[in-house]
Amino acid sequence: MSALSSEQIIQQIRQLVGKVYTDPEDLKFYGCDWTRQFSPAPLAIALPKNIAEVLALVKFAYAERVALVPSGGRTGLSGAAVATNGEVVVAFDLMNQIIDFNPKDRQLVCQAGVITQSIHSYAADQGLFYPVDFASSGSSQIGGNISTNAGGIKVIRYGLTRQWVAGLKVVTGEGKLLDLNKGLVKNATGYDLRQLFIGAEGTLGLIVEATIQLIRPSNDLHVMVLGLAEFTGIMAVLQLFQQKIDLTAFEFFSDNALDYVTRHNKISRPFAEPTAYYVLLEFESVADHQLNQALALFETAVEDGLIVDGVLSQNQTQAQNLWKLREYISESISPYTPYKNDISVKISRVPLLIEEVDQLVTEHYPDFEIVWFGHIGDGNVHLNILKPDTMAKEDFFARCKKVSQWVFELVEKHDGSISAEHGVGLLKKHGLGYSRSDAEIGYMKALKAVFDPANILNPGKIFPDS
Amino acid sequence: MKVLVTAKRVVDYNVSIRVLSDNSGVDLNNVKMSVNPFDEIAIEEAVRLKEAGKVEEVIVVSIGTSACGEQIRTALALGADRGILVETEEDMQPLAIAKVFKALIEKEQPKMVILGKQAIDGDNGQTGQMVAALSGLAQATFASEVVVNDDDTATVTREVDGGLEVISVKLPAIITTDLRLNEPRYASLPNIMKAKKKPVDTYSPEDLGVDVTPRVKTLKVTPPAERAAGIIVETVEELVDKLKNEAKVIS
Repeated sequence: MSALSSEQIIQQIRQLVGKVYTDPEDLKFYGCDWTRQFSPAPLAIALPKNIAEVLALVKFAYAERVALVPSGGRTGLSGAAVATNGEVVVAFDLMNQIIDFNPKDRQLVCQAGVITQSIHSYAADQGLFYPVDFASSGSSQIGGNISTNAGGIKVIRYGLTRQWVAGLKVVTGEGKLLDLNKGLVKNATGYDLRQLFIGAEGTLGLIVEATIQLIRPSNDLHVMVLGLAEFTGIMAVLQLFQQKIDLTAFEFFSDNALDYVTRHNKISRPFAEPTAYYVLLEFESVADHQLNQALALFETAVEDGLIVDGVLSQNQTQAQNLWKLREYISESISPYTPYKNDISVKISRVPLLIEEVDQLVTEHYPDFEIVWFGHIGDGNVHLNILKPDTMAKEDFFARCKKVSQWVFELVEKHDGSISAEHGVGLLKKHGLGYSRSDAEIGYMKALKAVFDPANILNPGKIFPDS
Repeated sequence: MKVLVTAKRVVDYNVSIRVLSDNSGVDLNNVKMSVNPFDEIAIEEAVRLKEAGKVEEVIVVSIGTSACGEQIRTALALGADRGILVETEEDMQPLAIAKVFKALIEKEQPKMVILGKQAIDGDNGQTGQMVAALSGLAQATFASEVVVNDDDTATVTREVDGGLEVISVKLPAIITTDLRLNEPRYASLPNIMKAKKKPVDTYSPEDLGVDVTPRVKTLKVTPPAERAAGIIVETVEELVDKLKNEAKVIS
């Protein structure tokens, strides 16, 4: 804790950064992310304009033991960007410039506060492509994406954010500026420190600038939605298609998920007769080669009894509309106060995990409706449980705490992760031990102490309270 | 009864159009091509009439290079029974297309021809009317509802400026589709497979005795003027000042 009073801290940081907010509304707005279970209570919001201001702020915070919470677009779902404890939020909204682009390297250099979608459109303007995309890309910032190693809908083909970070400038908890990897493709000079800051949820350093790798845009993209009667068929279909085609997406959702989407939006079902499960798969086709292959695979899958029905987009409007069937699920179930959990296991274990979770939940809480969907092609599933109409919110979430417990135990049993892509933050820190060993957590804490010896960077996140 | 429908090959609705640097036209190189959205509605309507038992055969027509076979396959997958490709390298303009349709009407004797009210490439909106005039058949344009009656007539609701107009036309008739007529379905994969076996006949304009030489010459194609980028003002005073002195919209 700092020896300075709140007023002194605010007064000091006003000298260091261009803009500081202390209005209650700003504190509330900048103090939380998309999780709603925590009450934001930051001391102030600092909006640095450049790296020099970030450095000055962190040096001050290090000297005076002032806790800092880095904040991007605050679209996170784990409470990693929530300030509940009188911290100073460091918001990167004013550091929102793309500073450099080199067509030969196919890399852009940008400040941490650039909105993900701006990178998409900037890349498109250069005839290139930034392949990390997800529902919140219109408000999330690249710094936050890197701090959570954001995944999204194209991971199966393009990997996570990590894969596209060619260089990184970070400010450590001691107020040192590190320029990591400098955009190099090959760099065999010892520890790649850059990787440590990716997905660290702002606990090791503040990301201030990134060099982002871009690639060529996709060719003609085709979207198929297939209907299946059995869950196990999903994995068989995945295997079948992956033997021949590089899929750019492989998503699944259950029939009740589709039902909510079609009920809450003006969207029609892909085919008349409902099936128990659906998969959406997307692939690039060059001169119809992959397209014809996909059609042949569809025939095989029908003959094998894996698939009941299916549709194929005939134009980009239809491709977008088919994507909506999957992308609108979260929004369509949100009126039902869903409990959410984002977990992953190895692809081969997904069917068993889902079956076991289903079994446990329906056995204990038969009135709970479970909605499953997710990026099943990379072993990531989103568990959603809808609150029964008649149950009070508190009762429901109290019971869901038990569900979390069971889910974490099952995830541990299957060597999975209690957080596939949403991070740990405040929400899942008590579950960290289900996915990481004591020895691992020990080394993680030691690393934290190296880069942030005064524990001023996002304290209280990731690690369980001791 | 037989119905002819159209499946014009156009640049996909979602592709941002790029004008060639010499202003001679639009860049079509490596661009996603799809069925004209208004033609999709025409195909859907014909297939629905077939499913309702009003129509026995749906024949899809596309005019252009051999690549138009792709759009015919799409229509066949959506439920059309057979295809006709009128293959030509010529730049096809509304009058030439209408003449081809006149010849096909004589050949196939359909009770109805359903076309998109316009194609999203040329935006001419002339073909349906020209087909009707050349063939001497009734026309019902901008249809938002089509009912086929048992007495060889169709009752068509048209979208007109003041609202909706309901007319009755004697069959055979030419119908052009408006946006609200229906919502096209997805092509089901089993139907895409079946479509591969459906017959497609190919003719040249000469086979049909039609001269398709262009009558209209394109002089120049230019993109719309670019809008100047906006600026973000720092204060309300600055905004008021700019509205007053720069934009001059307030005094």
